[in-house]
Amino acid sequence: MTGAAARQTLRAVRVDARSLAAAGILVAGWEFLPRRGLLNPAYFPPASQVVAALAEGLSAGELLPHVAATVSRLLVAFFLAALPGLGVGVAMGLSGTVRRVADPYVALLYPIPKVALLPLMLILFGVGERAFVLTGALTAFFQIVVNTMDGIRQVDPTLVEVGRNYGATRFRLFWKVVLPAALPGILTGLRLGLGLTLVTVVAVEFAIAKSGLGHVVWGSWQTLTTPRMYAAFVAVGLLGLLLTRGLKRLQDRLLAWQTSVDVW
Amino acid sequence: MARQGGKAAAGRAAHPAALSVLSVLALLSLWEWAAGGGWVREAFFPRPSSVVAQFVVLVRDGTLASHLSATLTRVAWAFLVAALPGVAVGLTMGVWRGAREALDPLFAFVYPIPSVLFLPLAAFVLGRGEPARVLTSAVTSFFLVAANTLTGVRQLDRGVLEAAVHYGATGHRLFFKVLLPGSLPWIFTGLRLGLGFALIVVVAVEMVGAEQGLGSLLWLSWQTLKVRDMYVTLLVIGFLGLGATYGLERVRERLLPWQPRVEVRR
Repeated sequence: MTGAAARQTLRAVRVDARSLAAAGILVAGWEFLPRRGLLNPAYFPPASQVVAALAEGLSAGELLPHVAATVSRLLVAFFLAALPGLGVGVAMGLSGTVRRVADPYVALLYPIPKVALLPLMLILFGVGERAFVLTGALTAFFQIVVNTMDGIRQVDPTLVEVGRNYGATRFRLFWKVVLPAALPGILTGLRLGLGLTLVTVVAVEFAIAKSGLGHVVWGSWQTLTTPRMYAAFVAVGLLGLLLTRGLKRLQDRLLAWQTSVDVW
Repeated sequence: MARQGGKAAAGRAAHPAALSVLSVLALLSLWEWAAGGGWVREAFFPRPSSVVAQFVVLVRDGTLASHLSATLTRVAWAFLVAALPGVAVGLTMGVWRGAREALDPLFAFVYPIPSVLFLPLAAFVLGRGEPARVLTSAVTSFFLVAANTLTGVRQLDRGVLEAAVHYGATGHRLFFKVLLPGSLPWIFTGLRLGLGFALIVVVAVEMVGAEQGLGSLLWLSWQTLKVRDMYVTLLVIGFLGLGATYGLERVRERLLPWQPRVEVRR
């Protein structure tokens, strides 16, 4: 037992060492190629300058408001979408009638790039936060609906049958049998919804908003202040990493009995 | 199937699609009536019949065709640029642990960055033009294809692999006869998701910086407040997305009829 544990630790250390080495080579290349003039430093500033820009932006508070703008849009959009998404998803999962009525709209709107709905939102609500946030919310909404519905429909009928035979009422059957069994699908939907909403929110900021990390990338591109641009880039990457890996870990902890296949 | 009451069974006896068709017809006629009677503002929600009329106009004068072909060309290129290296990298990472462990953290960091942000980077490398747009649209799709291919190799049955090795399969024979066919269902899933994502990013990129394409038509219709043009474009994009998703699914069913559908996202 201890031997296996030790082997596992050793393996984890080796994996980390390899990853670190790869990341180190990348960062070193990013530092020296521009310095030696092998990459145009106007376009690809050395890594140290980017780190400096990131540190300065965060400490001087120049970048912080943009981080806050992106995160708050993301969260507002997500929470606006979560409850309705769960409700519609559950209804479509449980009732064939609801599913058939709603299916054409979900089938048509789910694969649509939600950024494409931005102009419509701009017309409906004018250029402003409401339009930006709603575009993000639509992204999360459809992802949550689809995964919740699938999660409920994939519940093993035997479980429901057994529950019913033991005399569970409809209400109890839903809360005690169907919902726990569908939880992995539902959580996956929430997680994917949050991740995709970040994509939409940043794209919206890139396209039109006057604040947020997406806007910083756009603005610094136009003025060619590239260290700032890459700093925003790294900030978005860290945010995304936090959302994907962090939430993944949370989901695995919550559903310890369930192993999920997932990469990145 | 969470519930299988008698009522649901009776509903299923009728044609299953009937309710969906009814639902769409009901909404469209309600919309038509409400917009016609001034209950909702036509400036925001034009009557469906007028949207259809505008669709015919845009088809006739060739506007839609030129924008559609620009978008389709970009999606096709982005898909190609993403798919080939994606499969190659995914397979490499699948069979070679060193590559897997080295690239994993980098990919985990880059993958969630929204692809549109790569537009400036691509423009630095390739100049502001078509290649930069295509490359930008390919980024996320590449990761989706690579991730699914990698999973496909990793989930291969150890027993099958060992049997193949014992029967003397090595090198390219092991690769082409065992590894590749075994991971094909996953590769297909990656391709399907990648195609869908390529469309998403192409539209987004066209919105912020292109003169042609459905995304730029969308943006233009907002700036000129041509609401009907916007609805027509949205419909076309919706059906494109639908086609990208279900079209490749059909291809997979035809090519790999024995394989169930599998999926991994992030």
